[in-house]
Amino acid sequence: MKRSSCIFIALALMLIPSLLRSQEGYREVTASGTHQLTLAIDVPRRLGGNDSAQVIRDTAEVLQFDMTLAGPFTVAAPPAAATASGIRTGEFDFAPWRSAGVDLLVKSGYTVSGDNVTVEFRLYNVNQARELLAKRYSGRQSDLRRMAHTFSDDIMENLTGQRSPFTGKIAFVSNRTGNKELFLMDYDGHNVQQLTKNRSINLNPDFSPTGREIIFTSYRQKNPDLYRRELFTGAEARVSSQKGINATGSWSPDGKRIALTLSKDGNSEIYTISRDGRDTQRLTNNSAIDVSPAWSPDGRQIAFVSDRLGKPQVFIMNADGSGVRRLTTSGSYNVSPRWSPKGDRIVYCRQEGGFQIYAINPDGSNDTRLTTSGSNEHPRWAPDGRFITFSSTRDGGESVYVMRADGSGQTRISEGKGKNSHPTWSPRW
Amino acid sequence: MRTATLGFVALLSLGLVTAGCAKKEMVKPDDSSASAVTTPPPAPTPPPAKTEPIATQTITQAPVTTAPVQETATTEAAPTLLERIFFDFDAFVLSQTARDTLSRNAEYLLKKQPGVKVQLEGHCDERGSDEYNLSLGEKRAKAARDYLVTLGVQAERISLISYGEEKPLDPGHTDEAWAKNRRVEFVIVK
Repeated sequence: MKRSSCIFIALALMLIPSLLRSQEGYREVTASGTHQLTLAIDVPRRLGGNDSAQVIRDTAEVLQFDMTLAGPFTVAAPPAAATASGIRTGEFDFAPWRSAGVDLLVKSGYTVSGDNVTVEFRLYNVNQARELLAKRYSGRQSDLRRMAHTFSDDIMENLTGQRSPFTGKIAFVSNRTGNKELFLMDYDGHNVQQLTKNRSINLNPDFSPTGREIIFTSYRQKNPDLYRRELFTGAEARVSSQKGINATGSWSPDGKRIALTLSKDGNSEIYTISRDGRDTQRLTNNSAIDVSPAWSPDGRQIAFVSDRLGKPQVFIMNADGSGVRRLTTSGSYNVSPRWSPKGDRIVYCRQEGGFQIYAINPDGSNDTRLTTSGSNEHPRWAPDGRFITFSSTRDGGESVYVMRADGSGQTRISEGKGKNSHPTWSPRW
Repeated sequence: MRTATLGFVALLSLGLVTAGCAKKEMVKPDDSSASAVTTPPPAPTPPPAKTEPIATQTITQAPVTTAPVQETATTEAAPTLLERIFFDFDAFVLSQTARDTLSRNAEYLLKKQPGVKVQLEGHCDERGSDEYNLSLGEKRAKAARDYLVTLGVQAERISLISYGEEKPLDPGHTDEAWAKNRRVEFVIVK
């Protein structure tokens, strides 16, 4: 590598954290021109206790997956010359990493004692031979992946000023048991847990802003009713059981209201209710189908789907139902809008044979297709707005995927069993 | 299931602890002082026992999952002489064929089974959005109900449910399968 670019990157690395923290927003760390920062993940070292191939494998795998999806980095394998060394400054030589073109280096070491494991992580700026971040986590071995995800979030916070959502969970619907039940998994597809076991049809999960509760529609009492479930206790309450449809529930950003579709007054309209199902307020009133409400992050507006002009299109209204305007004007069948956490984009699905995911500005500009292969539905933002989860049929069946907000890095995360759809990314816990 | 619930709760509670400050320690950047790391953790990590009360409590508080509701397969359980009607894509308009079928169904309900109640199930094919299809299925069921009522069937005898695209008659992905799935079923519910 040329000396001048080395110096530039070193400068950039030195400046970036402070630069980014000084301004709100989502700037990503990239070097100038075409050079992308190269991040390497060293093999986890044993610092004490027993050897554990699984700790080594899982730690490296999680960091590799997270940093690859993260976006700002090219993830490189450790150079052969750099193996078998310590993880702290002074215990290893930066030179082999530097000559391999590595800008950022993640080192980790573990101590296993019975079921407990302690993992120490360090992030280095290779060109400056400087430590940027050091953290130590301890817990049970079953917490190991979470520890590594947490350090990934630490890395992203350190380098971009904003935590990534890699410790988050994804709730989704799967028919792998023969019925459509709700499941929960790590955002990378690990640690799958079945939530509902009511053997009916369960649809449309949506996390409360705290992440402690989930609302969903279930046929468990012979009608599509809206339920609220506490994730920690499993306790469920039926919050809306009006005659007809109680579906596509969406929690307001302040957690006080739920927007949903009810058909109690004759056909599907958008309403809001309190979190306990009281104080019903009607927002739409026409003979067309109105479904799939999605709040703007400030809670002032709601995007929704209506076929009032003949075919389903995405509209936006004020949260009191006034000021309806049409958002999507291209394509003849546009559904499933979701507002980005920053408020600057709305993702939705367009039917073009199968479905493809698009993103559009709330003023209707910059309408961009994000997916191309298979049928892709149910896009939902990660809480930091940098990633999107969705379902796709591209590999046969239907699986949950994640991608960056610009459509790059599309990666399947759910196993191939059954049809897996309606993913939704948890807030930070 | 208990084990799974316990595991889940344990995972969540431990995860919370891990995510919180309790188990996380900032290690000082070690330009000169690698000792900051080599010393044992100053704050003892919270014992795992701390999470167990939550987990134990949870098991006792999970009445919902222990009583699964077995959904009866209504369509199969109650065979009748009532015939299905079918629809075009993204439409709930009754075709002439559907009207003729509904006339026969009305006659059956009025003359052969004047005492029974009937549930109309609206269904859609898989091509539309499942969220939108839930509403479309209901519109189909309502169109069928309204026509039955004009033919003299009492509205009180008719209930509606939409399954959207959740219960296809034909699991295939062909035009023929889709045409079969865009339908209203008539189920005697007594």
